[in-house]
Amino acid sequence: MADTILKVENLSVNYGYIVALQNVNLEIKKGEIVTLIGSNGAGKTTTLMAISGLVEKRHGSKVTFKGQDITKMAANKIVHMGMCHVPEGRKIFPSLSVYENLRAGALGNKNMTKARFAELIEEQYALFPRLKERSKQAGGSLSGGEQQMLAIARGLMMDPEIVMLDEPSLGLAPIVIEDIFELIVKIRDMGRTILLIEQNASVALSIADRGYVMEIGKITMEGTGKELLTNPEVKKAYLGG
Amino acid sequence: MGYILNQLLNGICQGSIYALMAIGYSVIVGVVGMVTFAYGEVMMIGAFSAYYIFIYVGNNLPLAILAAFAGSFIIGIVIYKLCYERFFTAPRHISLLCTIGISMLLKNLAQIVFGPETKPVLNVVSNKTFNINVFGSTLNIRLLQIVIIVLVIVLAAALTLFFNRTKYGIMLRAVSQNKDASYLMGINVKRTALLGNCIGCGFGGIAGILLGIYYFSVSATMGSAYSMKAFAASVLGGLVDIRFSALGGLCIGIIENLGIVFTAATFRDIFAFAFLILVLIFRPQGFVSKKGARV
Repeated sequence: MADTILKVENLSVNYGYIVALQNVNLEIKKGEIVTLIGSNGAGKTTTLMAISGLVEKRHGSKVTFKGQDITKMAANKIVHMGMCHVPEGRKIFPSLSVYENLRAGALGNKNMTKARFAELIEEQYALFPRLKERSKQAGGSLSGGEQQMLAIARGLMMDPEIVMLDEPSLGLAPIVIEDIFELIVKIRDMGRTILLIEQNASVALSIADRGYVMEIGKITMEGTGKELLTNPEVKKAYLGG
Repeated sequence: MGYILNQLLNGICQGSIYALMAIGYSVIVGVVGMVTFAYGEVMMIGAFSAYYIFIYVGNNLPLAILAAFAGSFIIGIVIYKLCYERFFTAPRHISLLCTIGISMLLKNLAQIVFGPETKPVLNVVSNKTFNINVFGSTLNIRLLQIVIIVLVIVLAAALTLFFNRTKYGIMLRAVSQNKDASYLMGINVKRTALLGNCIGCGFGGIAGILLGIYYFSVSATMGSAYSMKAFAASVLGGLVDIRFSALGGLCIGIIENLGIVFTAATFRDIFAFAFLILVLIFRPQGFVSKKGARV
């Protein structure tokens, strides 16, 4: 089995007095697609935000990335290590052009060279031809699906080792969702590791190597994508019977 | 007719200084994300930095402008550290109150350090006047006015290039649009906000010395009125759009000077603030169309 790239141990987060996450343990190996599914408010987004350093973790939590402890590292420094987080709701820069959005994405990589930058831009344009057509348009003028693509492409511009996607299917038409998930598989095949957070459990589990199920701040089940897809409890709770 | 024409020219000249103030102001509000009420004092510090260049080095305009930029840039660092850095996640009124406090502190400190009296700024630009015949009436253009207008245009163009072409420009714009997403791009948001605050303050400082040269004087209390005008002008741009804020500044300058034609010079401020009130009533979001924002 490949090496572990990201390891989360006893991750706990409080929002004031409210416990959002309790002793979450995750392990992601290089080259995997791992999905974290769960219903609204289960703590999926909080998990990602805690990993990438956007929310404070409770004492005792430990996050290791590429063998280095990043539990207390600042968000922008974690990015510099090669972790990309495509946030929920896309959060592209609306009045920057598509090209400028991509350029902003590359800012996170300190070792970026001009040649590598040009290569990456071409890579994104090949993955997402729509973005090439619209490279001069303002990011905010794109459709929802295109914005999601832009958000992913922007993340890939920093040449990350792990890509964490937060609900990429949110608010998109089923046909667009299919496109996006095909792309996610393609991105993995290009040698990146993927942590995918989804409410749309059936699609997520169908492309995932392994999955975790989260309920009210705790991991309640884990297994391969297939195991979880056929698990009666998961079926009942997330796949509509 | 000639009088109106000359007032229009004065309006454009003064308006371009206001535009520069407004540009600086909207850069600060845009990048830092918080309103400042210490801007007038920043301008005053810039004006004094340049004033001391005039006193000790001589009438060297480029050097004075550099000094104004540097002086207010440094004050920008202080203001950022005291008023913003700790309060990004705090309620917005806290940093706002801090800037009001800093404003009082700087104003009074300046009266102690620089002295309370109004200081003359004379003969920085030669008093040459060009008389041009326009439709039978004479337009008197002072060399000073040309220098100011050209300088503002050059600075605005330089800032536009900086924002659109450089890495730091993209960082500043990214931070002004979405701070969380900027963190996720690996941008050091706090340092970028500091840079934005300082650049905005620097532009304010330059505007300060241009006002000093235009009115032949600087004083420790010169800031307050202009701070409000910079604010008024930026409101036109929805506080954060640089182009529309600049346009707002220009409008206020022209409206003030044309208003004087029909009344008296003492009513100058009434026009600027009546304009602000009208804008706030009829178009509180400013004149920016939100076409690009569909998120």
